[in-house]
Amino acid sequence: MHKAEIIEKVAGLWPEVFMLIGATVCLFIGLSKGKGPRRSTPWIAAVTLIIAAFMVGDNLGSETNALAGMAGYVKLAVAGIGLILLMVTAGVPNRLRQTIDAEAAKEFEPGDIMTGEFYAFFLLSLTGVMLTAGAGDLVWLFLALELTSLPTYVMVATSRDRVEAQESAVKYFFLGALSAAVFLYGFALIYGATGSTDFVEITAIVQQQMAEGGGRLPGLLLMGLTLSVVGVCFKIAAVPMHFYTADVYEGAATPVTAFLAFVPKTAGAVALILLLSLVGWPLPIEIESLIWIIAAVTMTLGNVLGLLQNNVKRVLAYSSIAHSGYILVGLLAGPAVNEAAGGALGNGIAAILFYLVAYGLGTIASFAVLGCLRADDREAQTYKHISGLHKKHPFLAAVMLLSVLSLVGLPPLVGFLGKVYLIGSAFSAGFTMLVIVLVLNSAISAAYYLRIASACYFGEPDDSVYSAGIFPRYAGALVAAVLAVVLGIIGNGLVNATRNATSATQTTAQTESLPAQAAANLRNINQ
Amino acid sequence: MPIELIKLIPWIPLLGAALCGICCMKPAWRKAAGPISVLSIFIPFLITCGVYSAASGLQGDDKIQTIYQWMGVGNFTVNMGYYVDSLTMVMLFVITGIGSLIATYAMGYMKGERGYARFFMGVSLFIFAMTTLVMADNLVLIYLGWEGVGLCSYLLIGYYYDKPEAVAAAKKAFIVNRIGDLGFALGIFLTYKAYGSVSLHTVVDKAIEFLNDPNYTATTADLWIPFLLMLGAFGKSAQIPLYVWLPDAMAGPTPVSALVHAATMVTAGVYMIARLIPVFQLSPYALPTVAAVGGVTALFAGTIALCQYDLKKVFAYSTVSQLGYMFLGVGALSTFGGIFHLFTHAFFKALLFLTAGSVMHALAGQLDLRAMSGLRHKMPVTCWLMFAGCLALAGFPFTAGFFSKDTILAETLIVGMEGNGLFTLLALIGLLTAFLTAFYTFRLWFRVFMGPEHFEMGDDHGHGGDDSHDDHGHAHEPHEMPWWPMNAPLAVLAFGAIFGGLIFSGWMSGSIETSTANPIAIHAVDTHAQTDPGYSIIQVASDTSGHGSEADAAHGDEHHTLMGMDVHTAMMLISGFIALLGIGCAAYFHWLNRPLTDEIAKKFGVVVEVLYNKYYVDEFYDAVIVKPLRMLGHGFFLFDQFVINGLVITVGYLPRLVGWSVQPTQSGKMQGYGLGMVLGVAVAALLVFKWAF
Repeated sequence: MHKAEIIEKVAGLWPEVFMLIGATVCLFIGLSKGKGPRRSTPWIAAVTLIIAAFMVGDNLGSETNALAGMAGYVKLAVAGIGLILLMVTAGVPNRLRQTIDAEAAKEFEPGDIMTGEFYAFFLLSLTGVMLTAGAGDLVWLFLALELTSLPTYVMVATSRDRVEAQESAVKYFFLGALSAAVFLYGFALIYGATGSTDFVEITAIVQQQMAEGGGRLPGLLLMGLTLSVVGVCFKIAAVPMHFYTADVYEGAATPVTAFLAFVPKTAGAVALILLLSLVGWPLPIEIESLIWIIAAVTMTLGNVLGLLQNNVKRVLAYSSIAHSGYILVGLLAGPAVNEAAGGALGNGIAAILFYLVAYGLGTIASFAVLGCLRADDREAQTYKHISGLHKKHPFLAAVMLLSVLSLVGLPPLVGFLGKVYLIGSAFSAGFTMLVIVLVLNSAISAAYYLRIASACYFGEPDDSVYSAGIFPRYAGALVAAVLAVVLGIIGNGLVNATRNATSATQTTAQTESLPAQAAANLRNINQ
Repeated sequence: MPIELIKLIPWIPLLGAALCGICCMKPAWRKAAGPISVLSIFIPFLITCGVYSAASGLQGDDKIQTIYQWMGVGNFTVNMGYYVDSLTMVMLFVITGIGSLIATYAMGYMKGERGYARFFMGVSLFIFAMTTLVMADNLVLIYLGWEGVGLCSYLLIGYYYDKPEAVAAAKKAFIVNRIGDLGFALGIFLTYKAYGSVSLHTVVDKAIEFLNDPNYTATTADLWIPFLLMLGAFGKSAQIPLYVWLPDAMAGPTPVSALVHAATMVTAGVYMIARLIPVFQLSPYALPTVAAVGGVTALFAGTIALCQYDLKKVFAYSTVSQLGYMFLGVGALSTFGGIFHLFTHAFFKALLFLTAGSVMHALAGQLDLRAMSGLRHKMPVTCWLMFAGCLALAGFPFTAGFFSKDTILAETLIVGMEGNGLFTLLALIGLLTAFLTAFYTFRLWFRVFMGPEHFEMGDDHGHGGDDSHDDHGHAHEPHEMPWWPMNAPLAVLAFGAIFGGLIFSGWMSGSIETSTANPIAIHAVDTHAQTDPGYSIIQVASDTSGHGSEADAAHGDEHHTLMGMDVHTAMMLISGFIALLGIGCAAYFHWLNRPLTDEIAKKFGVVVEVLYNKYYVDEFYDAVIVKPLRMLGHGFFLFDQFVINGLVITVGYLPRLVGWSVQPTQSGKMQGYGLGMVLGVAVAALLVFKWAF
């Protein structure tokens, strides 16, 4: 890569640079002695996110990446949902010891106070997702993925002053490192097979190799892709890298779990789209079969394990696995399988991008409700804790109901639209069997989602449960739930945006006009 | 006034309904619901008047006023958009104009009722649904309004939800309408399949194109679409065989009856057929079927109305009968006649129902004709207002009903004279029905207001316990209604019922000509039609289109004369005479010589009994449809309970079983997880390796 190209590339990264600056500021201010400045860190994070979102909006269309439209969309979505997550995680770093409110301690104990670090890591992880979306190079992609994950290990470890949190952080870290080794090996093999790390060059070489090999990929490249895909499955919590999910999600503080369920998963899904776009759709039969199996097993495993749980947090963790399976279905379909179908119905990538937001809103809202509750000075986690929620906290019960219904995929909520698009694109691409598996899995998932809803509305209240009383968390839950309704009704604009965002994935000839079009659409949404 | 304001018309009543809903919350606010509702209907009326000149000047694509895209899936797009042409404007005048008069009357009528605010919420919502229906630029939006009026009728007919018969009537209205709606929905699906669009202008334009194309042969879809749509229209507009809900709909408060019967709901079917008349013309059997069903319904309902004793039932069956006329008119390709009759009927039927409501109000809920007589001294204003309505309904010369009914009959006869025997027969049926109409209408009026004074009060004492009513003696003595808000709107309606025909005839015919309801083909049906039933109107259209520009069905064909006169003039004379004859007979039998009537009725007791029991159609439906369905339902229930349920429970265990079998992998041990991941990677790599090489 030439120097000029690098400069050009960095020039398109102002939002990420700004996020980094914000993170650094948070880190520094978190060290200050006075309470006031330390308490300002969440606000600094919020302002950073808002400004970064506007910068993304301004920057749209000027990116040189062929997937510029998708990158802009993902960055905006991450910044937007990041704001909700910021509300939901409010108060987390402030609750270190069960009995002592760290911020209330008279003496300044730097070792006890995590506020600055927490928000710095928060911003850094989101920066990682943004960088992933903008990646144009394998090395870049690897670094961006790791930038997404590394801060989350710390966030999990410090989110609760309990041994479970540390245990889950250690598990998460080691298994994450293992998976990073796997996909890094995969990246290395891809480099070995093509002699380049640049996406554009790799694509060109792959086309050439396929033409020479009679439409078949060289074995080295195939193996590299396999390892990359399987390795990145860790980020989205798909089989066979799903084992950690339930344990880590359970161990982390609930708001941090919400973060884990959305942020790394988005990065992983985007990374998978980018990796597979190297060979293009329709995918080589071997990769297609592999992802087919992974998708089917992932959603089934997630749902049947979710059925057996009594711990709502673990149920939602398994549901998050199942949703990864759904996302993989869209990945199989790929972009532009059926232009005539319109919307995201004929575009699996657009469907994924929409589904990530749909799933994010539903799952964040449900975790936020759990996070708003405490039982006997511990986290509320089981069905027993949320039973009869309606009688004591009707607002939280309503949010929970909306979010689980959206996750089931009932109209008019956003989850319904998301599933319609996924199923539509997969169906247009001819994956009929997989669509049947998906629909059956939706039915299975309804059993535990509705169990949550029925516990909230028809159970007997548990006296030990009380509200954590953190207002921003309520607000975050409310915003997510309201968005789930609103986007479900007027999701069309967003869909057109995602569709335009991905029209450019393969048809490079149109890259001139389509990202601009996408940018126009995205700007409309932004306003 | 800018044309864009027309987009607001449906939404103002919706806002009104929401506000009325809010008014339900606190007793102190409830009184505000009436005025809010009236305003929410009256403001759209003002808008309709204001934009009228702008709206009638719209050309081409300007007629489509889109608010936003409602849904879009691939090529299938549905807009929240309105199609504004002169037919729309006519319907809007009827709905908002008559609607606001009825709502004003209701402010007085419903005073002190429980659920006052709930009632007005329903009324406003009704107007929202109905205006949406007539303004919609696509079939799906029409369907929204269509279902909306169905829902609102359910809510309003079942207004007295503590009365079992009201609840039963509400359910009946809803369910019978559903049958029609099923047909309508299927019709919409098939239309989309056949035309590739659900938007009105596309469908109508394509149908016109087909009609004008001599080489076009009707497809199966073309033949079926009208019949499916027709079923919907018959359900909503209460025609045989789906008319049974309308007479029972009397269980609601009287203003609701007026609203359902006059301004809204039942006119929807006529409107829909008129709007889509080219689509109906594509099927050679469709319009004759519409006309035949209309004609038979008119006669059928007219005979039932002869022997009813319930004041509102008589009017209810007369509505069914008059709707039959409208369908007859539309079926004879005289959309002008059909819509014109719809328009005039709105005036006099609203007037009749509301005056009947006044009588009922005055007699504390008494509706039995036999329990009242000679009320003209007690209620002079109501007496003469109802007289005006009766004249119009009876088709007394130069009243509104006279002109519109006449147009229908003359047009039908013209089609008949052109060689289609069916239409000649239908015109004769129409004339017979006209006689019956005049007779039963004045039977009622003479019974109630003429003769010796006599009345029995009903058992509905105190109008819902409203002590503050201005007339304290009302529970013992019939009394006149106050001018405001009750009699004044009726006076407006009476004016329309008497003079509406003279004033609006020209305007109406011009409005229909410039709308999509203007029929394309000359209605001339060739003599072939008799010998060859498969002979298609399309061919007729192509045959006659060569004759020049004389394609205006409303003004008939010059060749046909009756008794040496233009058919229209002749028909006016005949039907005027028939109306007078009917009124005269009624006067003789029900005013001057009542004992004779009773004697005759005794002699023909069987006939009276059959008519009084409405030909036992309800009982027939109950035995043939309702009971078997219920039995089937019980059967299905048992099957569901024992077979399906068992299966489902068994299947439900399957996911759990799988879950239990894989649960051990979630051991919580990191080593296990790491091993699992590595094994997974290995399996994936091996699989790909095996597939690839």
